[in-house]
Amino acid sequence: MSGHRIGVYVCNCGTNIAKTVKVDEVAEAMGKLDEVAIARSYKYMCSNPGQEMIVNDIKELKLDRVVVAACSPRMHEPTFRKALETAGLNPYFVEMANIREQCSWVHDDILEATEKAKALTHAAVARVAYNEPLEKRSVQMSPATLVLGGGIAGMTAALELADSDQTVYLIERKDVLGGNVARVDLTAPYLDSARDILSELITKTTRHSKINVMLGTELVHMGGFIGNFVCKVKDAEGDETELSVGSVVVCTGYKEFDASRIKQYGYGKFPDVITSFELETMIRKGRITKKDGTLPKYVSIIHCVGSRSEEFNTYCSRVCCMTALKYAHEIKSAIPSAYVDDLYIDMHAFGKGCEDFYRKSSEVKTMFLMYKKNSTPQVKLADPKKDDCSMLITVQEQLSGEEIEIPADLIVLMVGMEPREDSTDVAHLVNISRDKDGWFIESHPKLDPVATTTDGVFIAGACSSPKDIPDSVAQARAASARILARISMGEIWTDAVYAEIDEELCSGCRMCNDLCPYTAIEFDEEKKRSHVISAVCKACGACVAACPSGAIKARHFTDEQIYAQIEGVL
Amino acid sequence: MAVRVNHKLIDELEHYGAQDVVKCYHCGNCSAACPFSKEPFIFPRRSMRHLQMGLEARLKANLEPWLCYYCGECSEQCPRGAEPGETMMSMRRWLTAKYDFSGISRLFYRSGKIEVLAVFLLAILTGLGLLWYGFNFGGKSLSVYHGDGAFLPSSAIHIFDWSMAGVLTLFLSINCIRMWWFTMMGERGPKFRLWPYIKHIFLLPIHFITQKRYAQCSRKRPWFLHLMLMLSYVTMFVLIMFFLRDMQTGPEIDWNVHTFGYIATAGLLIAVIFAIQGRIRKTEPYHVHSHETDWIFLILLLIITVTGIGQHVLHRMGMYEAANITYIVHLMGVVPMLVLEVPFSKWAHLAYRPLAMYFAAIQTDAITVPEKQPVMAPGTQLAFSGSRR
Repeated sequence: MSGHRIGVYVCNCGTNIAKTVKVDEVAEAMGKLDEVAIARSYKYMCSNPGQEMIVNDIKELKLDRVVVAACSPRMHEPTFRKALETAGLNPYFVEMANIREQCSWVHDDILEATEKAKALTHAAVARVAYNEPLEKRSVQMSPATLVLGGGIAGMTAALELADSDQTVYLIERKDVLGGNVARVDLTAPYLDSARDILSELITKTTRHSKINVMLGTELVHMGGFIGNFVCKVKDAEGDETELSVGSVVVCTGYKEFDASRIKQYGYGKFPDVITSFELETMIRKGRITKKDGTLPKYVSIIHCVGSRSEEFNTYCSRVCCMTALKYAHEIKSAIPSAYVDDLYIDMHAFGKGCEDFYRKSSEVKTMFLMYKKNSTPQVKLADPKKDDCSMLITVQEQLSGEEIEIPADLIVLMVGMEPREDSTDVAHLVNISRDKDGWFIESHPKLDPVATTTDGVFIAGACSSPKDIPDSVAQARAASARILARISMGEIWTDAVYAEIDEELCSGCRMCNDLCPYTAIEFDEEKKRSHVISAVCKACGACVAACPSGAIKARHFTDEQIYAQIEGVL
Repeated sequence: MAVRVNHKLIDELEHYGAQDVVKCYHCGNCSAACPFSKEPFIFPRRSMRHLQMGLEARLKANLEPWLCYYCGECSEQCPRGAEPGETMMSMRRWLTAKYDFSGISRLFYRSGKIEVLAVFLLAILTGLGLLWYGFNFGGKSLSVYHGDGAFLPSSAIHIFDWSMAGVLTLFLSINCIRMWWFTMMGERGPKFRLWPYIKHIFLLPIHFITQKRYAQCSRKRPWFLHLMLMLSYVTMFVLIMFFLRDMQTGPEIDWNVHTFGYIATAGLLIAVIFAIQGRIRKTEPYHVHSHETDWIFLILLLIITVTGIGQHVLHRMGMYEAANITYIVHLMGVVPMLVLEVPFSKWAHLAYRPLAMYFAAIQTDAITVPEKQPVMAPGTQLAFSGSRR
């Protein structure tokens, strides 16, 4: 062997590692290995003194490879790579052995844990000798952005970007901007006018010099990668336009649940059973009436239509509870003599101002009646001779334990939210995933809620899950902020670790093309060879394993490195 | 059989003081806080629910309002300000009206003005009647206060008292029978068996005299004052019904009867003053809300107590004419108080409360408590049965 000078550093991690692993013994054993110039144990390797120790050793002992036996590389690999860079070594010359998560935290027996730690560290020592110097690369970032969908989220994202003087293409399938919010009269819980909110946004969006609003247009193809997407859009006449953008924001929204799927409500059968959106239309027209034009005396609002049920959608649609309370207020103010009943499963009043709104709805004498999940209320026609109402709702009321009958003249079904029918196509076009219900999946549900697994493609608003206006707007602005941050850097640094295809060996079988979960592999029709877009590749290794010709090599995960690691551990 | 909800009942109960029940969202803190809430009478939440939904039949058959003594613990715990204590109070008023066969009670509770008017009318009638009797059949002279020649001889008042008591007892008894019919013989009442009625009969006098249940509230002062008021009243009642002749002798003091009289009067006065003061200051939860009928009752009681003391003092001072006039004013208070308040209003609870406790014991007996299933989350139960299959 070429004779490396390897430094091995065994971290105590306070007592996290040291209480189960005899760290000094590990260091001592490593010190006896060939090529290991120095082996030390230290309380906290990630601390500044710990890093300085490595830097000094590299300089003084002329180390050319470093092994840190400590925690998971997810946490501190960047820390130690930086330390190597400081000392003038290629950052990829450090290897970590995870003796915390994979050893001390999961074992009790000190002797056995120590032996395992030795094996893991030995593997790292064996591997590091084969590590190659790698360089990070950068690609240019196009400052233009494509926004899909002209609802409240799409317009907000577009305006946020355009106000920062960046070009935005806003494409909307319909001929108008506004999306679902345009179908709503007032908003809960403050009863602000949705129209006012929206008309201001629409005016700003359409007038903005940096926003190209393309109505009646849809995306038909997207190629390229972060910073360099090429999107083809098609307008109503069938004309295609090619747009070069650096980022894409998907704000395609939702569609409402089809209430006729629930037979018990008689939607479509009884004329005065209507959906929440039909009530909105009435309210916007200024008159809440039955089909025959008369005023309803009893109005029932039924929550969770299609939501939170085993049969339809198991999830909560989030906005219906407060919307229902809003209706209670709107109906009471339109028809003060009307009695409003609110049939709910649980009242979800979690947002700002919502609990107060719920209390106020009680105070205006809304009769709240609780029904049980999966036990749907039944609607039937009333006896016109006997009853003073046109319909009766039968339900097992939970808070009284009574089976009750509710008189009703107008029944409003709070239809839940569902992914749009075209969400499959959209997901495919922009290469993002959908969950079991069909909503787009975020990169991390908590820590990265607007990014997706495809770099440069963001999701905002109700296309990723049911959302209200404030949440949609927040997401739209969050996505814009992420994009603006990228644009401000001008170029994108990609990790030096990615797969490479040796064109000499590639047979052009295209097996890897469909296998890649990130669509990072392109096929060159002229050369009949596949090649990896390094900016998109996440180095998962799927293509490496699959290639029948052995033409694909994963940088930093070469066969020699892996074999050495295996031998080291044995 | 499904029960129809009724949106109007809640409006009806507003007249009886249930202003805030709409705010209740059934967290159940009130029932958890109540020291009396025990199976099978878990209250006040369930009653609040029945009221919100307008289930009149359930409310009419409900004993729970009478099992509550309004310590106010529930209202203090309520996160929504739904005033469960006051709601129970209003339900007692409403039930009093429902039990009353004549409809007078409903009239009084729904309009304080009508009740005041009725009190005034009856007072004037009483005053005029007594003057007419005194000048035509009694002593004929306002300057004679005691003895057989008195303007209002005790023998005549005695007969008047007893006949009035008879009529009142009759009215109240009819209402009590109606209460029994609604609560014990309704759709959900227990099957009628005589033995439990005999077995628990002792509860009636015990609860009437000791009010021991009230004593279980965490606040002891209301119980003490209420007991003092009740015992003082009973003492006065016994003195007037059985010893009126000895009471009305004079001018020397018959200590055998008047010792009791003085103690009872002091008790009445203290209790009334504390109650009025409490309702003005509103520091305790049970005093925050006052219905018109509460004030009418207290003011009448104050007038009666003060004039009662007045006629006694004036009599001993030898001011017979003033004593006679004060006595007439006193009776002008007593008669409306007894005739209107006992069968038709606030005072009817003297019968309904002990009866409710008695009926509740019988109902509890009739319920055979089923053995409880172990509590399990629905999901776990499903998974469990699934894996077994």
